[in-house]
Amino acid sequence: MTERRIVGRSVPRTDAVAKVTGAAVYAVDVVMPDMLHAKVVRSDRAHARIRGVAKDAALAVPGVLAVVTGGDLTGLFPRFGHIVADHAILAIDKVRYYGEPVALVIATDPLIARDAVPLVEVDYEELPAVMDVSAALAADAPVLHEDDYSDVPDADTPPGGNMSRTPVKVTSSHPNVAHESQKGWGDVDVAFTDAHRIVETTVHHPMLYAYAMEPYNAVARFVEGTLEVVSTAQHPFMVASDLARVFSLPLSHVRVSVPYVGGGYGSKSYTKVEPLTAVGSWAVGGRPVKLVLDVEEAIYTTRADSADIVVRSAFAADGSILARDFEITLDTGAYADNSPLVLDKAVNRCFGPYRIPNLRVRGKAVYTSTSPASSYRGFGAFQGNLAGETNIDQAAEQLGIDPAEIRRRNLVHRGERLIPGNRAMDADLVDDLDLLVAELDAGSSGEGRLRGTGFGCAATDAGAVPSSTALVKLLSDGSVLVLTGSSELGQGSRTVLAQIAAEELGVGMERVRVLQSDTATTVFERTTGASRTTTLSGLAVQRACRDVIERVCLAARDVWTDAAGPIEVRDGTVHGPGGRSMSLAEAVQGWFGPGGGEILGQGVVRRTGELAELPPFWEIGMVGVSLEIDPDTGVIEVDQLVTVADVGCAINPTLVEGQDLGAATQGLGGTITEHLVYDGIQIANANMVEYRVPRITDRPRRFRSLIVERADGPGPYGAKGVGEGARNPVPGAVAAAVARAVGVWPDTLPLNPERVWRLIQRAKSTGTASPGSHGSDSGPQ
Amino acid sequence: MADFELRRPTSVAEAVEHLAEGGLPYCGGTELIPVMQLGLMAPDILVDLKRIEPLGGIREDAAEIVLGARVTHDETAASPLVRRHARVLAEATSRLGNARVRATGTLAGNICFAEPRSDVLTALLALEARVDLRSATDSRTVDVADFVEGPFATVRQEEELLEAIRIPVRASRSSYIRFQPGEYPTVTVAAVQGDGGCRVVVGAVGEIPGVFTFPSAEDVDAAEIAAQVDVTEDLGGREDYKRHVTEVFVRRAMAQLAEGSAA
Amino acid sequence: MSETLVRTTVNGRPVEARIPNRMLLVEFLRDRLGLTGTKVSCGMQVCGACTVFVDERPVSSCGVLACDIDGADVVTVEGLATDDGLTPVQQAFVDCSALQCGFCTPGFVMMCTALLRKTPNPTEEQVAHHLEGNLCRCTGYEPIVEAVMHAAESMSSAESGTRHD
Repeated sequence: MTERRIVGRSVPRTDAVAKVTGAAVYAVDVVMPDMLHAKVVRSDRAHARIRGVAKDAALAVPGVLAVVTGGDLTGLFPRFGHIVADHAILAIDKVRYYGEPVALVIATDPLIARDAVPLVEVDYEELPAVMDVSAALAADAPVLHEDDYSDVPDADTPPGGNMSRTPVKVTSSHPNVAHESQKGWGDVDVAFTDAHRIVETTVHHPMLYAYAMEPYNAVARFVEGTLEVVSTAQHPFMVASDLARVFSLPLSHVRVSVPYVGGGYGSKSYTKVEPLTAVGSWAVGGRPVKLVLDVEEAIYTTRADSADIVVRSAFAADGSILARDFEITLDTGAYADNSPLVLDKAVNRCFGPYRIPNLRVRGKAVYTSTSPASSYRGFGAFQGNLAGETNIDQAAEQLGIDPAEIRRRNLVHRGERLIPGNRAMDADLVDDLDLLVAELDAGSSGEGRLRGTGFGCAATDAGAVPSSTALVKLLSDGSVLVLTGSSELGQGSRTVLAQIAAEELGVGMERVRVLQSDTATTVFERTTGASRTTTLSGLAVQRACRDVIERVCLAARDVWTDAAGPIEVRDGTVHGPGGRSMSLAEAVQGWFGPGGGEILGQGVVRRTGELAELPPFWEIGMVGVSLEIDPDTGVIEVDQLVTVADVGCAINPTLVEGQDLGAATQGLGGTITEHLVYDGIQIANANMVEYRVPRITDRPRRFRSLIVERADGPGPYGAKGVGEGARNPVPGAVAAAVARAVGVWPDTLPLNPERVWRLIQRAKSTGTASPGSHGSDSGPQ
Repeated sequence: MADFELRRPTSVAEAVEHLAEGGLPYCGGTELIPVMQLGLMAPDILVDLKRIEPLGGIREDAAEIVLGARVTHDETAASPLVRRHARVLAEATSRLGNARVRATGTLAGNICFAEPRSDVLTALLALEARVDLRSATDSRTVDVADFVEGPFATVRQEEELLEAIRIPVRASRSSYIRFQPGEYPTVTVAAVQGDGGCRVVVGAVGEIPGVFTFPSAEDVDAAEIAAQVDVTEDLGGREDYKRHVTEVFVRRAMAQLAEGSAA
Repeated sequence: MSETLVRTTVNGRPVEARIPNRMLLVEFLRDRLGLTGTKVSCGMQVCGACTVFVDERPVSSCGVLACDIDGADVVTVEGLATDDGLTPVQQAFVDCSALQCGFCTPGFVMMCTALLRKTPNPTEEQVAHHLEGNLCRCTGYEPIVEAVMHAAESMSSAESGTRHD
């Protein structure tokens, strides 16, 4: 193998200078000539029929151009939703949660639009609301969606468009069930009767908010029959497909572009404010309209699903898993968004990377009168993993087996199939676990402090469906443009894709520019999510570069009219027979002649060949924590955080570490401090004052990411994805560490000071010296 | 935010005239502007105090430290005078909010807002501070203990300007600690031991800080304070937890006071 | 709408404008002056993304009236780097990969600049105390602490005569 020049090195991010100087442009910074501003009138009811909307007072405000309601969208397809098209752009007939958009005010100035919002009067007929899953599933519960939306005109994949439409099983168990999902094999009931030990665990995972620091926003306009939208979307090609359906436009006439994105973490997957902004522009004759949400509105746009999970596992005396049985209930909120897939993933991801001879997982996603739930980094995995891994840790304790040892006995080996019909395991999980536990130490306890360590494993079906493309243009001066549809969310794809192109073409990083995420001027990428970009977009870029090289060789053969013999490109130079050579620039110029030209290379990745089996790769999550607790207050301090980044090949090691630390930190937030709390029909903490994400003072005292490179991924140089892996095992790892420190197993997150203190009190009152009792926790709110 | 008229007086006399017309005084605006953004307050007239020179500065005056209405948290925390004679206030102002709030927000604005979780209020109550109020027609000095009536409520009349905060200079030992797992403290404790006894103030845990006095530091009964203190339940905890951490932090404050140097 | 005439300096350039009284400083900077490097996130002064300097003091521009900058000297993230290049703090953020999505970065750069002006050789604890009011959702903060320590080091070595390049 030739020495690599750029791949494998922590080259500086190509976007760093723009980001430290304020020059980097985000969607929220985009201004269009003649631009108007929109603000949303939101429902102040959880469930109500709309009897009428009085717009006159708002329209009378100087500077207000239009007030748009759901009833005004005649001639349009008024809903969106990539799985179930249940989501009204603006409420039609009724509202289903507090905060739902009811009308859009469009004005010349954002302050004027904001002034006019309270002047729009909505006449509601109140309906009973269902604020949680148990209320929603009651026999006589009010029905949130009378329609099953099966009449959606193009529920099938539109040509060239949205490929994530998973067929949704229309369920009949209860009208408020949005989706049901099952998985299983073997005979679970028989296996349980043969068990040496049965361990049952119940957990509750709260609603979370991803807090991407740039709240959802978009600018939309119509130009010559084309809808142009600039937004914060992670998946602009999917958004374009939803917009094409709303306006009955061919995809060629919908352009969605995405500049830098101020954080996504899955929360900007799929369509959010783009249809709302676009109907705003449509309502004012195509003039540009900008809509910027604030944090509270963002929370009422998308949150992460809360989950109640019950797991029973049957073990042999040596700790081997005989059977596992999971029941998962997700609170999906008022609209499905991506929650059916969140459920499917929770069902796939709850039982862990273990050899399970008999499995039964049953899940349902339930509509409630709350903010719609959807993707958030590792969706389904972190909720499911908490249940599955806590259960394994409890089993270890009850069976008297070391928690690492019980995992070693059950982890699937390379080549074994975790799930029948899926890709065989492509990682060495036991080796990864050994690395993790060797690095993790208990440290020394501060005086009067409680101390515990915990760790967990995950292997998740990452990558989503492989369909990625790339176009690489070799310009006449030998510099390179890479066109890709993947979005730069902060993960560093702009840098990594440039590294791949520079490596392949033998040019310097400064000669490569990566253009991203514009459905009209870059090229198709299914999604930016599921930790796939380096692996799949990277592979497309690598293939496109190799296509460029092939074409350069053909061009050189044309230029060297007498060249008989092999021609190859090495280190950015074309080498021909007889020791002759020319630069890449000379090849382009020579082939096209005066005036120059461009040599185009195309890279396509499809679900075929090595990528025929799903998932494209298993994303490994191995995380350990060592923590200290102040028994007087219940405050947790994380002393050590260790992750294993099993990435095949670290194209940029610093970026890999950044993904692991970032993902694990979000995990710590989601485990220790974060939860959205409904108080009646409203969220009590829908702001960043009361929704507490980790701060700089919360960071672990010690962090280490152990990068493992076995070149076993399907991506370029054997790479596979990173980004979600280190998020997923964090809740279970922290829960185990807390249990070992205080002597009682937590069953509810977050493990905030009050809840931990209550666990300590319970341990005292039951006289539990070591974990063993299971703290069913009515706990704090 | 609703529209308002902006007045920018350069003297106290001018300022109180504007207040008489219904103006609302402001300086840093760190508490007021967000509240106006949320539409919870909509004053017709704002009176900016930033151009009134005499309202600036920290000085010593007849056994009192006098802090002008424009004095920020940062200035207070850095003041040698405050650090020497009113350490609890230096501690409180060096930790509250965040670095930007401390750079811009004023102590006077803070106590006029009377946010129940105010660090400043806890410290000033412990120090037995007083405030000078002045209107176009009158002036008076009020104990901070009497100044704050309840959450977001003070005895300041609309036409009155809080000109200065006065802190008596007395030989004392003190400590200030806070428990803040969230954006706001769950409990703040200021303890001051002087010749006249020991004063313990517990803030943030309820709607208004609790002031407890004991003959000496040794007599302070943390459990008794925790049992008596007014508690507001919120996302930071339910009543029993808040009483418990109150007791813990009173104990810790007393331990610190016992170890600490005179201030 | 009531307006006030404001004369100020923004990034060294004199600015004179009639500003609606109720306009926030961040709205003025972004919407009127096109200085979009300053970001809005929490809108409640707790995240730090909108940090700018007013007379060298770091403020949350989402919580300050634009009129309040009358007579003041305002510096935004766009006003830090010079023709000679990035400031030591900016360079350290690049070198330490102390950013990902970058939305919080202008605020962090401003706050760190303010810290090092007052405290040229901070401890990690001082760094954390100073930056407690700045949220970053991507990095996990460790690279940011490294960047500040790195910047302090490069500034003090430049100070002591060692040329920083």
